[in-house]
Amino acid sequence: MLPLPAAVLCLVLVIGLPLLWLGAAAIGAAIRGDNGLAATMLPTALRETATLMLTVGLATGVLGLLSAWLVTHFEFPLRRVFDWALILPLAVPTYLAAYTYVEFLDFTGPVQQMVRALTGATTIREYWFPDIRSNAGAALVFSLVLYPYVYVACRGFFLLQSASINIAARLLGAGGWRRFFAITLPVSRPALVVGVTLAMLEVVNDLGAVLYFGVNSLTAVIYSTWINRSNFGGAAQLAVVIVLMIGLIILAEQWARRDRVYSTARDARVPPALERLSGVRAVMAFTFCGTLVGLGFGIPFGMLLYLALRRQSPAMLQLTASAATSTVLLASLGALLVVALGFYAARRGGRDEPPLSQGAIRLATLGYAIPGTVLALGVLQPLGAMDLWVNRLTRGFFGWTPGLILSGSVAALLYVYLIRFLAVSHSNLEAGMRKRGESVLHAARVLGAGRFKAFLLVDLPTLLPAVLGAATLVFVEIVKELPATLLLRPLGLETLATLVYGRASAGLFTEAALPALAIVLVGLVPVIIFSRLSSRQRVLPLS
Amino acid sequence: MTVFTRFGAIGLATASLALALPALAQTGEVNIYSYREPGLIQPLLDRFTEETGITVNVLYAGDGLLERVEAEGELSPVDVVLTVDIGNLVGAKERGLTQAFTTDALERLPEAYRDPEGHWAALSLRARVFYVSKDRVDAEALTYEDIASPEWSGRICTRPGDHPYNIGLIANRIAVWGEDRTREWLTAVRDNLAFAPEGGDRDQTKAILEGSCDLAIANTYYMGVMLNNEEEPEQKEWAAASRIIYPDAEGEGTQVNAAGAFLARYAPNEDNANRLLEFLLSDEAQQIYANINYEYPAVPEVEPAELTQSWGVLKPSEASFAEMAAHRDEAAALVDELRFNEGPQG
Repeated sequence: MLPLPAAVLCLVLVIGLPLLWLGAAAIGAAIRGDNGLAATMLPTALRETATLMLTVGLATGVLGLLSAWLVTHFEFPLRRVFDWALILPLAVPTYLAAYTYVEFLDFTGPVQQMVRALTGATTIREYWFPDIRSNAGAALVFSLVLYPYVYVACRGFFLLQSASINIAARLLGAGGWRRFFAITLPVSRPALVVGVTLAMLEVVNDLGAVLYFGVNSLTAVIYSTWINRSNFGGAAQLAVVIVLMIGLIILAEQWARRDRVYSTARDARVPPALERLSGVRAVMAFTFCGTLVGLGFGIPFGMLLYLALRRQSPAMLQLTASAATSTVLLASLGALLVVALGFYAARRGGRDEPPLSQGAIRLATLGYAIPGTVLALGVLQPLGAMDLWVNRLTRGFFGWTPGLILSGSVAALLYVYLIRFLAVSHSNLEAGMRKRGESVLHAARVLGAGRFKAFLLVDLPTLLPAVLGAATLVFVEIVKELPATLLLRPLGLETLATLVYGRASAGLFTEAALPALAIVLVGLVPVIIFSRLSSRQRVLPLS
Repeated sequence: MTVFTRFGAIGLATASLALALPALAQTGEVNIYSYREPGLIQPLLDRFTEETGITVNVLYAGDGLLERVEAEGELSPVDVVLTVDIGNLVGAKERGLTQAFTTDALERLPEAYRDPEGHWAALSLRARVFYVSKDRVDAEALTYEDIASPEWSGRICTRPGDHPYNIGLIANRIAVWGEDRTREWLTAVRDNLAFAPEGGDRDQTKAILEGSCDLAIANTYYMGVMLNNEEEPEQKEWAAASRIIYPDAEGEGTQVNAAGAFLARYAPNEDNANRLLEFLLSDEAQQIYANINYEYPAVPEVEPAELTQSWGVLKPSEASFAEMAAHRDEAAALVDELRFNEGPQG
């Protein structure tokens, strides 16, 4: 076998193309001496992005770890509900969280109305209220919807941990907080790092919320450099900076987990036990988890529900229905493509494959870290050039001009979705394959099934849960995706996300509550699946 | 495995073609990329289809359409691009994305409102004016220079400086005052801001209602659209807290920008595109611009809406669109240099 199959090489090149294109454009601009713009914009953009990432990283770390620790170590009222409800904010994309929080907290929102009703004030000069549309407001809103990344990672980790250390510590007389700082915190570092990294990558990826809050983050500045100043070279230079920054985050994550072997083997004799909290402590645990769910999901969802039900406009209903149809079609196509290639990648990246192939697949799955804005920037020009080339060829040979096959069509969108979400489908399918093992495949082949037959009758059916799981996750990610869809969608295609963005950017978000609600409802699907799966991992209460 | 991937590839190729097909040119169609909010433009396009039977396909995006047209090159399906400022029209021509309209309807426009070679046409005009709080501002008249004085410290609000509307205003100031004076002025205005620029023009009127600023820089027609917003009646309340002052009405004049259209260089439906322009410049369409969108019609024979006239008399700045467009890049560089979007720094 070749050290690197040609198809794998193709996959890596196809996925890397936009970044290579941007790199070339950035260098081209540098050679022309056209560095002014990137140089003026960079310091502010770097500062604001870094501040936002660090604040959100810290806040999601604290909130996610604490909530996971409470839910897996203690028994308190509604713990079982919080166990899954704490994941709900994942259904709310950051831009929707931003829009709804502005509706909720700004001058005409319910909170300030109540403040005015109570104080008799008529303008904001007569009382103090924090401005939600600020960098601090952005950090708050991001943290409230992104903490579940840390929660999910830490929760899963705790459930696999043997309870013996904790029980030993208790017997030796260590109290709850002491055990948290001496055992839980140091031991859970790998999970914490994974969760916080994911949350920070979401911050870098976001475009809708930072534009709405007026944060001059890197993505926002790239966007305005490209769009408002028509400076592709400058935008490419900034995009290269963002990619380098993401590279650093990923390296830091790897470094933080370096050469430590954490034994996740569960000691079967000591099932994880829940300590029953009572009195003030139970109330505190309950309030903490309840507040998190309320702020991260209750407020955005409630606000959307209220706005959508308050006034029904037949025109908006029709727009929403047609956008929903396009969205479902697009997301299904995307899920099909991404899962098919994820399947291939999982096969080729498996442990029995040559190391070069494994490494190449790992590289190909790093696309999830690249912001949609950057990908759109990198995809538009090469696809346009390719279309031109194809058309010249067909015109020369057949006198036929097929038009825009790649850049002006769904293909460009599918391309970006593949780059961004390959990791999602790959990791799910890889886990599924590892769990199932290869023996059934070998058996099928031994019994005389051809490659195709074995694939259809054995491989696919036995992996069905993993395939469906991966397809669902990719589907939902596509429904929520905003920046790339906004910039690349073909003529006449309006998705739920672009419909909402269009209204919100025109200062008319309330009109778009219905499609926004639809996005959140779709986003709930994987949360429900997760909660059903996790309810199987029972935790025994200590009686 | 290979069989599977091959099947997958064929399936996907067919599916994406099927989705792409409606976007390709057919007879009886015109394809539009629009920077304008769909709510403002849809009634016009519906009337056009009703009258001509020509189907209109629209891609609405607040941003990035010129970049699309450029990347799509000679294969672009677009016929007409509707923009919300003059900068995009002139910029499109400079980038070689346009060609000349052939219809005589262009002559309904004064020369200042169309490209000398007929590549683009203004369709409606909007003045960038001051919205001031009815309760907290007494002034009857103000100049652009006035809002640079310390008296306005912490009282001004506007959308981000690099938005085309503000770039247009700053470019106009450069055309009138020159770059140095404009830099001084913009620095002072930046330091008078109540908070770092955010949101759109409607959001600024909300900030006036809220009391967090007293004077907003915004376009005229938002007042009309908001005062008559039946779908979101709260916006009537936002708008009702402000009144409009035309800056420099007694002096050099108020900065005016134009929403307009250009004909794409590779338009597949050129004839229909010309018919669309004829329609958009007809009395009927111009009246829709005036009475539904509360803009100033670009065709001089058509009157603005009564509500628009009630705000005062518009005296347009003497600097031409061409001069304004010529200073766009300097204006954008100034916004960056002064870090306008970071808000007050004084």
